[in-house]
Amino acid sequence: MEQAAPRTVRICHLYPKLFSVAGDRGNLRALTSRCAWRGIGYSVDEADVGVVPDFTEADLILLHGGQDTEMRVAARDLGTKAGPLREAIEGGAVVLAVCAGYQLLGKYYAPVGAPPITGTGVLDAITEGGSTRFIGHIAVACDLGGDGQHSLVGFENHSGRTYLGSGATPLGRVITGSGNNGEDGNEGARYRDVYATYLHGPVLPKNPWLTDHLISRALLHRYGQLGAPDSVASLASLADQTESEAHAAALRLACRPAGKWRAVMAAGKQLATGKGTAWTSR
Amino acid sequence: MRGVAADRQATPAERLRFALALAAGKGTGAAGRLLNVGGGTSLPGAVARRIDPLVLQKVASASTARKAMITGSNGKTTTCRMLAAIARNVGVSVAQNRTGSNLLHGVTSVAVREADMRGRMDAGLLLLEVDEATMRRAVPEVVPDVILVTNIFRDQLDRFGELYAMARMLEAAVETLPPRAAAVLNGDDPLVASLARHAVARRLYYGLRVPDAGTDVPEHAADTIRCVRCLHALDYRRVYLSHLGDYECPGCGSRRPDLDVAVTEVRSSPTGGTDATIETPAGTMRVHVPLPGLHNVYNTAAALAGAFALETLDPASAQSALAGLRPAFGRLEEIKADGRLIILSFVKNPTSYNATLRMILQRPGPKHVLAAHSNTPVDGEDFAWLWDVDLEDLVPDLTSLVVSGTRAEEVALRLKYAGADPARMRVIPGREAALDAALARVPPDEPLYILAGYTPMREFRRIMQRRGWVPPFWEE
Repeated sequence: MEQAAPRTVRICHLYPKLFSVAGDRGNLRALTSRCAWRGIGYSVDEADVGVVPDFTEADLILLHGGQDTEMRVAARDLGTKAGPLREAIEGGAVVLAVCAGYQLLGKYYAPVGAPPITGTGVLDAITEGGSTRFIGHIAVACDLGGDGQHSLVGFENHSGRTYLGSGATPLGRVITGSGNNGEDGNEGARYRDVYATYLHGPVLPKNPWLTDHLISRALLHRYGQLGAPDSVASLASLADQTESEAHAAALRLACRPAGKWRAVMAAGKQLATGKGTAWTSR
Repeated sequence: MRGVAADRQATPAERLRFALALAAGKGTGAAGRLLNVGGGTSLPGAVARRIDPLVLQKVASASTARKAMITGSNGKTTTCRMLAAIARNVGVSVAQNRTGSNLLHGVTSVAVREADMRGRMDAGLLLLEVDEATMRRAVPEVVPDVILVTNIFRDQLDRFGELYAMARMLEAAVETLPPRAAAVLNGDDPLVASLARHAVARRLYYGLRVPDAGTDVPEHAADTIRCVRCLHALDYRRVYLSHLGDYECPGCGSRRPDLDVAVTEVRSSPTGGTDATIETPAGTMRVHVPLPGLHNVYNTAAALAGAFALETLDPASAQSALAGLRPAFGRLEEIKADGRLIILSFVKNPTSYNATLRMILQRPGPKHVLAAHSNTPVDGEDFAWLWDVDLEDLVPDLTSLVVSGTRAEEVALRLKYAGADPARMRVIPGREAALDAALARVPPDEPLYILAGYTPMREFRRIMQRRGWVPPFWEE
């Protein structure tokens, strides 16, 4: 049940300027809005390049996506932040990492035709560059324990192929889309309370169940087991019709068959180039 | 590379194929106009290319017209309209894609429409607005005399991948230009200004040098751009719009190039237009443009630089051409709708959306809004960028709100988190029903603001055209 005493989640937003490429500030807005609607306080500490925040004062850390160019800048800067960040994670701080943020929490990212970028190694994961990008709607089946299975929906746009080692578990299984590498059916990674994903869109507004999971885990980190909620069920419920409709629409988009127009064009191209039909050229 | 027709005598079969392609494309265009299905702006090109994939290349290479291609994230359509007006005013006939259909099929449609049955084109200037991602394929086919790049914003990354990758792609296009050609580049955009330093073509830079406009630092996090060469954060002496401004890199010392066309003075005039003083190689000009906002100052400078590169810049004539402009459709276009006023705005990325919001918020009165986005090949699939739009600034002024389009739910979600009350918001994906519902909530003396992506904007306009509120596209 809601406590009478005011509670506050301390959010640390890493690289808000550097990593703000695809509406990522929507994740922060989802977290702060859903705290505010429940009367839960929040503070946001921004830490850009050259600033090492006090990670011991953070319950929830956001690390978003950027392009390869910006990722190199962040990787250079993360050298000074990696130690305290790792300690915070081992101490139970909650982390949401998206795209480049996900890759930077792994051991390395090796883009095609450029020197590799060293990650923090918090996650037992490596990322290899690919010559093509995975771009499209994606749906993922997740089971974070507690309140059962959920689908995570959003948009992915990445050329990196991430492979998990034994020290990390996937965030979920791909229902439709490419996920970590387009091969093993895994999407994202989990380690302690680190939640890493390739989904942007941004990911949290359309997936309020994940937002609430992060908030409740952050409250747990701040206030401990005693008198604090240990599952989403103990957060006050909100009227989520708009969120449910957006989630359902994104799920429909991810699951729709390939566009009619694309199919017609492909068939036409095969006819025009005389390469035969799909079933003979396979 | 496929063989170029002009390299050798075309065989009778090839000539027949070319003629068939032109005939079929022209027939499709005529049928489209006759049946009133959207002016047939890209279908004629699609049909013609299916019959003869080299049809655009053949028409372009046979033509003696000067050829200019305008690309970039924002300002393409308005810059093209300005350039066309300037050229026409000095007596040059212009063939152009006027309706914003700027993918390969749309560009091919222009050639099909303007060429006669033997593939000859009368126009003195072929002026093409071309989508950034289409440049790679369209430039080798058209072989332009001038490429003009307006700016590169974080526009539709789902289609283009990375910003810097797109800059490299445009650079490759500019580097194919021969020495007699020119690249007209926005010097205030660090990404565009850095393009093609090794190109053999002449480069012309335009930009702003206005001490009392703009700010000291970029306004939004999403606007931050690093030095293209060394990745150091750029220092700005002045930021005019998003990441456009007068910059210098403290890391490697690279800085904004010297401007060939420089805006030195800007004043908003009481009529809602803009007065500007602009230094050009043809002399200093004072111009009045009946379009508001700094982004239109950039478009004006771009058009003057483009006109200079095309040798169609006569200052006095250009002044009168610019003064006579009307806004392009869907650019805060005012439409009389059975005694009501609709203000239609085309919004496609955070920069254009924020610029539009700023102008709407400057207008007095309550804000009735119809917001619509759809996922299509033109509009893209990923609407994450809506979260980089300052919709929080609009919500306190909202009186009524309807959201629409095939991504209505996404738009509704964004507006809920911007502070709009979901109980007072109507989600109506169908465009006609949404337009009627929105208009029903607007009293006769208050305007309805429509903020829509490209496809829903055209759909709304088609509905209004059917109702006799606006003329069809191809009469624009």
